[in-house]
Amino acid sequence: MSWIQKIKQEELPSLLFKTVMFLCILFILDFVFGNILRNLYSNQKPGEIYRINYSMDSTRADILIFGASRANHHYVPENFLKRMNLSCYNTGRDGQIILYNYAILKSVLKRYSPKIAILDLSRDEFATDQQSYDRLSALIPYYKTHPEVREIIDLRSPYEKFKMISHIYPYNSLIFSLIMGVIESHTKRKNVNEENGYVPLTEPCYKHLIKDTSYGITDLDPIKIQAFESFVKDCHKSNIELYVVVSPLLVEYLHQNVSLKIAAGIAKKYDVPMFSFTNIPIFYNNDLFASDGTHLNDKGARIFTNMVIDSIMKDQGMNIRKEILGNRQNISNN
Amino acid sequence: MLNVFEFFGWFHLSNSVSLPFLDIALPIGLSYYIFQTIGYITDIKRGTIAAETNFYRFTLFTIYFPKLLVGPIERANHFLPQLKRKITFDKENITEGAKRIAWGLFKKLVVADRIAIYHFKVLSTADHQSGGTIFLACILYTFQVYADFSGYTDIALGTARMFGFDLMENFKRPLLAKNVSDFWRRWHISLSSWVNDYIFNPIALKHRYWGEWGVFYALFISFVVIGIWHGAAWTYVFFGVLQAIALIYETATRRARKKISKKINLQAYNVISILITFLFVTFSLIIFQSKTIGDAFDIIYKMFTNSGKLYLYPSIGIFMITGCAIMMIYDLQEEYKIVPFSLLSNKSWLVQQIAYALLLIYILMAGVFDGGQFIYFAF
Repeated sequence: MSWIQKIKQEELPSLLFKTVMFLCILFILDFVFGNILRNLYSNQKPGEIYRINYSMDSTRADILIFGASRANHHYVPENFLKRMNLSCYNTGRDGQIILYNYAILKSVLKRYSPKIAILDLSRDEFATDQQSYDRLSALIPYYKTHPEVREIIDLRSPYEKFKMISHIYPYNSLIFSLIMGVIESHTKRKNVNEENGYVPLTEPCYKHLIKDTSYGITDLDPIKIQAFESFVKDCHKSNIELYVVVSPLLVEYLHQNVSLKIAAGIAKKYDVPMFSFTNIPIFYNNDLFASDGTHLNDKGARIFTNMVIDSIMKDQGMNIRKEILGNRQNISNN
Repeated sequence: MLNVFEFFGWFHLSNSVSLPFLDIALPIGLSYYIFQTIGYITDIKRGTIAAETNFYRFTLFTIYFPKLLVGPIERANHFLPQLKRKITFDKENITEGAKRIAWGLFKKLVVADRIAIYHFKVLSTADHQSGGTIFLACILYTFQVYADFSGYTDIALGTARMFGFDLMENFKRPLLAKNVSDFWRRWHISLSSWVNDYIFNPIALKHRYWGEWGVFYALFISFVVIGIWHGAAWTYVFFGVLQAIALIYETATRRARKKISKKINLQAYNVISILITFLFVTFSLIIFQSKTIGDAFDIIYKMFTNSGKLYLYPSIGIFMITGCAIMMIYDLQEEYKIVPFSLLSNKSWLVQQIAYALLLIYILMAGVFDGGQFIYFAF
């Protein structure tokens, strides 16, 4: 008996049957566990997942803060409410860059347009870096439910849409965080000490701040630059007053900030104010306001937020004056 | 060839001599098939095998794709006869191969790559980490290296099996070794047995008149070669020397240790032996993972001097501990048959299928599929 005959007569049908059975078991388990995880994901109590859920689906705040960890830990929404009488939510997230922020903005714009948006840029915002694409995994749970963010998630790899066949994959590496996030007592954990998305850093800086002697970025990522421009354009289209802000630098950097120069050029093109707080002396090399080499602690964040508010109010005052002057001009012309 | 590619930079030749395209041209799996072909030529010279006259068969023996990247270092007398055999479709080969691949994926994606994120973050910020955190990262690194290497090997063996070939086993539960000699009989078996056959035995035989010193000398040379095989760096040499010292010590104190073992409860003695061996392996891997010997001592120094809290968020720790626990329970069951019941090799077809489906589900849940897993260190 030739081996082809053997396959046909004996082994192949049995192997095919067993393979199909195995795949059925796999799909059923994937579906069941995937739905359990989805349920856990949407019922999270305060924490990192709750914050992204709230940013994407619920917030209706007048002011939205966008950015990475320096946005999340540097802008205190309470101060905006007290001084500007406008509600504020901080959507910043550790380790994320403009692509993530643009995805959040797109989801927000599907629901409403905030009055003001503050985008905190990092020094190396547009640097070529695969990790920043990998970290877009935070958005994967929204791939099926938020079509507006698919284009951004697909930047991770061309296979994302195929991976989404699995119901579990969107919640990869989240199972323990999800379980902890629904346990009431866990909401008392350190990182959940948040206020409208803002997570204060309370740990003191226990190491002396060291200057950054790296060469900085060498290559710029055109996709990130384009995402920044799209962010600015979309805010402009939706009549959102956008402010691009660079948080204080706490240590000395030897390399040039190419990303910020490009950002300044784009901001100027669309008449968007850009405030740079990079060289504020009180924060520079000051352990009192630092949590580490790149982040302010809560004390520093509150001072810095007030500085940002001052700048915005000053800008708005100027805008109002411009508007009044414009109206007067129109009246006198008439 | 190995000298040109691996040791060019080691002797700082790259500063004085420029070889164009050296970096680009570095062939993958070089160390594996160089050793494999040396073994093949030596076997022909010794007369243990006949030279292969079919060029295609010889090429396939040398660079058969599943073992090209991470071995095992095959022997001609084991693999060449398989290439001459008629390959037939075998259902068992397909299913057993697929099971082996699934287990390899678990070790690689769930255990090794998960620990790698933590280990990298801790050691790259070692100045800011507590001694306990560094110690934990080093302990986990031992599991990482084992899971990574043996996981790849499982995938290679499983793939080859699906095509109807049996490759050499490369690991035999090395983290349960009771001493360093036992460890090297279980760890990277294809390399250690290769070195045993082609380096240790000839040297020991040549210097048999030296008595025990001949064995010590052969051990030293063999393990320096094992060290250098890993790469052209002094840390690898030092790693090899350390193994040689441990093995020489074990050989010299064999009788004394046997006497001690008789005075202590056997189970307790075994557990203590496994723990001591594990700690030794962990210590030697600190040298293995460092760029320079100075870096290795720096890590050890920080382990004992840095104060502070243990850095381990529950959500990170549970993944690593669960992965290691599943892997070690599997190894313990294979080694000691603790319970008469096994999920992955259950006699019931359905139980086995569900067990493997759950394994794949867990890989989907806890596996690392890219660099997106982010541990944020606010130090």
